Amino acid sequence: MRRKSVHRLFVVATGLCAVAAVALLVLIVWSIASRGWAALSWSFFTGHMREVGADGGIFHNLIGTLILLATAAATSTPLALAIALVHGVYLRHHRLRRFVGLGLTILNGVPSILFGLFGMIVFVQWLGWGKSWLTGGLLLGLMILPTVSVSLIERIASLPDRYLEAAAGLGLPTSRIIRSVILPQSLGGLLTGSLLGLARAAGETAPIMFTATIFAGATIPQGIKESPVLSLPYHIFVLAQDSFDPAAGGRLWGAALVLLGLVLTLSLAALPARLRLHEEAHDT
Amino acid sequence: MAMEHRRGRVSLIKAASWAFTLLAAGAVVAMVGLFVWQSRPVWRHAGWGFLSGREWFYRQEIFGAAPMIYGTLVVAAVALGLAAPIGIGAALFTSEFLPRRLRIPVKVSLELLAGVPSVVYGLLGILLLRGWVYDLLEPWEPLSGDTLLTAGLLLAVMILPTVMTLTEDALRGVPAAQRLAARGLGLTATEVVLRVSLPQAAPGILAAVLLSLGRALGEMIAVFLVVGRQDNQWPSPLLTLRPLTEAGQTLASKLGGAETNIAYGDPLHWSAMVGLALVLLALVTSLTLLGARLRRSDHAP
Repeated sequence: MRRKSVHRLFVVATGLCAVAAVALLVLIVWSIASRGWAALSWSFFTGHMREVGADGGIFHNLIGTLILLATAAATSTPLALAIALVHGVYLRHHRLRRFVGLGLTILNGVPSILFGLFGMIVFVQWLGWGKSWLTGGLLLGLMILPTVSVSLIERIASLPDRYLEAAAGLGLPTSRIIRSVILPQSLGGLLTGSLLGLARAAGETAPIMFTATIFAGATIPQGIKESPVLSLPYHIFVLAQDSFDPAAGGRLWGAALVLLGLVLTLSLAALPARLRLHEEAHDT
Repeated sequence: MAMEHRRGRVSLIKAASWAFTLLAAGAVVAMVGLFVWQSRPVWRHAGWGFLSGREWFYRQEIFGAAPMIYGTLVVAAVALGLAAPIGIGAALFTSEFLPRRLRIPVKVSLELLAGVPSVVYGLLGILLLRGWVYDLLEPWEPLSGDTLLTAGLLLAVMILPTVMTLTEDALRGVPAAQRLAARGLGLTATEVVLRVSLPQAAPGILAAVLLSLGRALGEMIAVFLVVGRQDNQWPSPLLTLRPLTEAGQTLASKLGGAETNIAYGDPLHWSAMVGLALVLLALVTSLTLLGARLRRSDHAP
């Protein structure tokens, strides 16, 4: 009897933990949505910021964030493809492969502010670019590199051996096998990894605050290297620090809701593939 | 993967793959090398005193990082103290007791929770949590709601999904056959968890905790907004809880402040800032390595 009641107590206690975790998500989304909903309108998306965020829209902040994301994707894609191919095809030694994996794990753990500091030294100061969208995109691309690479590596590793054996049996050279079999079959992994990485990159402030983004006065970048952009996370970060002008409040929550929506959409888009992989990996 | 290499012809794909891989590796090595190299002046200036010094006055060229290391550790300890039990408990529930149909929605919520940007957490911290903590601490007469405790609570929420997802991974690595065998011996589901699943998954769970701790140490934006950013806070006596009710500074929040821009003109001051970055990198990377090691030994047959 005592064992039964211990069991019930245990289930209830752990269940409460799980409920708390899910409730947190609901609380967070609700806190943002209920306050930011009123600010959303067509002109909020298409208008320019006025009166230090108290009026107008977030058009250029949204554009700036999208430019940073596109640059990050353009940076991480070739690098991740290269790393995945080196890991899955060209590296023969198990130990060397593990070394690549370890490097990615370490890079994944590096705090995002350190990417910002690195970019500030190299691009802002040494190369003299000042704040530049290109720097921001490169740094974000480097930051999400482990996410994209690991997703791609896992996909390549899970390719059925018979595909590769059949291709090799036809006498195709390695480069041809990569182009005709491995790459087409693993593009899904690249997409999933990129979506996940971009979901993280979209919300990051620390890598871009010293290197790429300013609060006001930037529009569509005119130059390649020297043009800063506005961005959603930095906009929220700056406004949040001010003593909170109630007039800016509604629009600040609106901007936060847009950012949250963007990030959650990217994560949700990556989700089906992730869940499938996860469940498959564990049901065997 | 068995594949024949054709000799004599250099493949463009192969050359490009190696070139880009080396480029990525070079960037990572350059980052670490740069932090080591650019922080040399402050190590020469202060020696180990940089780590143990309790005062930071850059105009007098006094650079001691101890209060920031302390702040970082306290904030992370609060975060972990809350997130680890709740996260592990929740992971136990979802992976051991919850039927598959219900497990998916919970997993989805967690993936989403993990994706919420830190600046959004910071905003909620400023607008909601700060007030709650101020009310909670009322008996101790805090100066404001910006305290190490506030930062720790906010971080706890932020790392909860990480703890939970990684713990779940570790638990699901325990073979189902062992659970069935234990049930067959007449153990209740709880006894199976406590005597079979938990002991076997222990290294993986420890790894989950360490990796989450690494995240907590390095988080900047959210902590920056609610920690108060008060320099030179040192507890006396050392093991008092008092600092929890006061403002403080962490390594990351210091690096995120305006001082980083000011410092660049002065080589010594700049090297001190880079020194903080190096300390942070060393702390986080050792936790990552330890965690990766535990995870690997966990997955080994």
